[in-house]
Amino acid sequence: MSKKLVKLEVPAPLDVEKIMQEKIPADQFEKVAGEKIFDQKFEGEAIGFFKDAWLRFKRNKSSVVALCIIVFIVFMAIFGPMMSKYHFREQHTEFGTLPPRIPVLEDFGIFDGTQQMELFKADLEMEEFKDAVVSIEREFIWKYKNKEIEKVIANINMYEYTGAEDHYFIFGTDNIGRDLFVRLWRGTRISLLIGFVSVFINVCIGVTYGSVAGYYGGKVDMIMMRITEILGGVPFLVMSILFIMVLGAGIVSFILVLILTGWIGMARMIRAQFYRYKDYEYVMASRTMGAKDRVLIFRHILPNAIGPIITQATFAVPSAIFSESFLSYLGLGIQAPEPSIGVLLAEGQRVLTTSPHLTLFPALIISLLMLAFNMFGNGLRDAFDPRMRGL
Amino acid sequence: MLKYILKRVAAMALTLFIILSLSFFAIRLIPGDIAGQGAAPELKAALEARYHLDKPLLEQYVIFLKNFLSFDFGESINLYPRRPVFQIIRDKIPTTLQLNIFSLALTIPIGLACGIAAALKKNTWVDYAISAMVVFNVSIPSFVFATVMQYIFCYKLEWFPFLLELEDSSFSLSKFWSMILPILALSFGGISTITRYMRAELFEALNSEYMLLSKSKGLSKLQSTLRHALRNSFIPLCNVIIPMFMNLLGGSMVVENIFGIPGIGSLTSASIQTSDYYLTIAVLFFYSCISLTSMLLVDLSYGIVDPRIRIGGGKVRE
Repeated sequence: MSKKLVKLEVPAPLDVEKIMQEKIPADQFEKVAGEKIFDQKFEGEAIGFFKDAWLRFKRNKSSVVALCIIVFIVFMAIFGPMMSKYHFREQHTEFGTLPPRIPVLEDFGIFDGTQQMELFKADLEMEEFKDAVVSIEREFIWKYKNKEIEKVIANINMYEYTGAEDHYFIFGTDNIGRDLFVRLWRGTRISLLIGFVSVFINVCIGVTYGSVAGYYGGKVDMIMMRITEILGGVPFLVMSILFIMVLGAGIVSFILVLILTGWIGMARMIRAQFYRYKDYEYVMASRTMGAKDRVLIFRHILPNAIGPIITQATFAVPSAIFSESFLSYLGLGIQAPEPSIGVLLAEGQRVLTTSPHLTLFPALIISLLMLAFNMFGNGLRDAFDPRMRGL
Repeated sequence: MLKYILKRVAAMALTLFIILSLSFFAIRLIPGDIAGQGAAPELKAALEARYHLDKPLLEQYVIFLKNFLSFDFGESINLYPRRPVFQIIRDKIPTTLQLNIFSLALTIPIGLACGIAAALKKNTWVDYAISAMVVFNVSIPSFVFATVMQYIFCYKLEWFPFLLELEDSSFSLSKFWSMILPILALSFGGISTITRYMRAELFEALNSEYMLLSKSKGLSKLQSTLRHALRNSFIPLCNVIIPMFMNLLGGSMVVENIFGIPGIGSLTSASIQTSDYYLTIAVLFFYSCISLTSMLLVDLSYGIVDPRIRIGGGKVRE
């Protein structure tokens, strides 16, 4: 091949302006492809975002179990108090601090309403103990002022002893004879109510605030983020104690306290999502086509964050319930007569050794509830965003 | 760097101002009369003069701010009548501090060890067991832990004394023995927090490109893990460990109550229950100071450990 420079013929540049202005009649156009579309037909039905997440969620057995537990507890919190014939304020002062007694299980020796008591041996002959003694654990000699007194540790059927044979308090009663079963579910209802309502409001505030800060950016974002930084610096404990001291402990003030700084985490997350998505081409395309800010925020960008929103809200519920019972422990619990799980726990803690059932059942429910919500949240996170699995 | 520090300090000062204002208005708004009902007018006037209640609101506010910023919190009213609040708090600090330092000394090594083990043995039974432990510990509140442990180990088995031993203020073995359960109760939550972070960070570090490089230049797995992956994964951990101190203080409020430990935590709840508002607010101020300092420390240490943040000026928290 000889080295010969070939002069390429460069076509004259198209005069785009001119072509654009030219009017070409429609019948001069011809379809490149025919009417027939050669793409393969989709087989099976289309799977949407939520269905996809659900399919992935279902595979995670522990999360499904957690969901069932949550559903069960919520169901009991709503209908549980109606199942019992007692009312949550109904007092049976003569049946104070009875241990639990459950109809079928009592035949197997568990939850049969017995309690260990230390008694004088002579007392066993007395009328009220006669039928109530189930078994005698051990006998011992108690020395008091140089006298030797025979004492026994006996299992006493408290229901026989107090004359409550006809009653079945399946979780036992508190010191003024209120049925723990009814009070516990009633308390769960209050705790769940506080949790759900505060989280719902937090999501609303956080989403709006974070969207505005993230979408507009610049000065607006800077000012808004400074505000959250300064507010977020106030420790939750300090703020909640101050507010409850002023407002008094009630459902509304608990919800208010949880809202005051609770939305900040959600706002930050939403803002980060907006920063990630707002420069995508599809957003620009939509803006070029004249979409308003409102449409861009709520129709186009926000739905990207739906997974993290749901996940974060799920994790916020148990922490709200935790905060409520924590404040109850400090003596800032919801005022009587309305119980909450925290109030019941704090009450039970004071009589831990004499009537452990008053601590056992509320502790069990709050632990189950928090465990279930955390596991459910983990499952949701993995389902919505499989990349995050196991982190 | 200086600008960055100044910015953080300014934000902190504003937060402190908000806390103080909230405290002031809380004190003013709490229902009730300082002298009690039916008190003699002279007594009421004297008390009002003593607590500056006779001055205009703005002046009261200025006095309040001045007092608090010079750590003059006034005197306790109901719980320890006429004792200066500052002195009460000062006396209570050592116990709480002791408890918290022990708890941190337990939390951090165990948390790190579990996290590292889980990340290195990812997707084996070790990892699953540790993950299950984490979910369990995060979910169950510390006061439930404390109560259950107290019932089992103090009451049923009688291994530990029910309450903290207080005969001597100095440190002794029997006192330490009685502190074990509170320390455990405080540590559970923290351990799982550290474990979770450590596992996530180390796992990310292990899969990064510099690990590939260190492997390709012939470092053994142990060397590259110790020198490169671990060191890098420690950076975000200071974000977790420093605020943990504040969380522990908060958590110890309830645990101190349960085990009868005479620290700041039980002081808080006792002051709330006896409506000793000046004491409560002083304690809360104390908590706020610790929390703000720890947040400042986090921000600064972040800037020192990771220069990228310093240059960016303020980190983006997600």
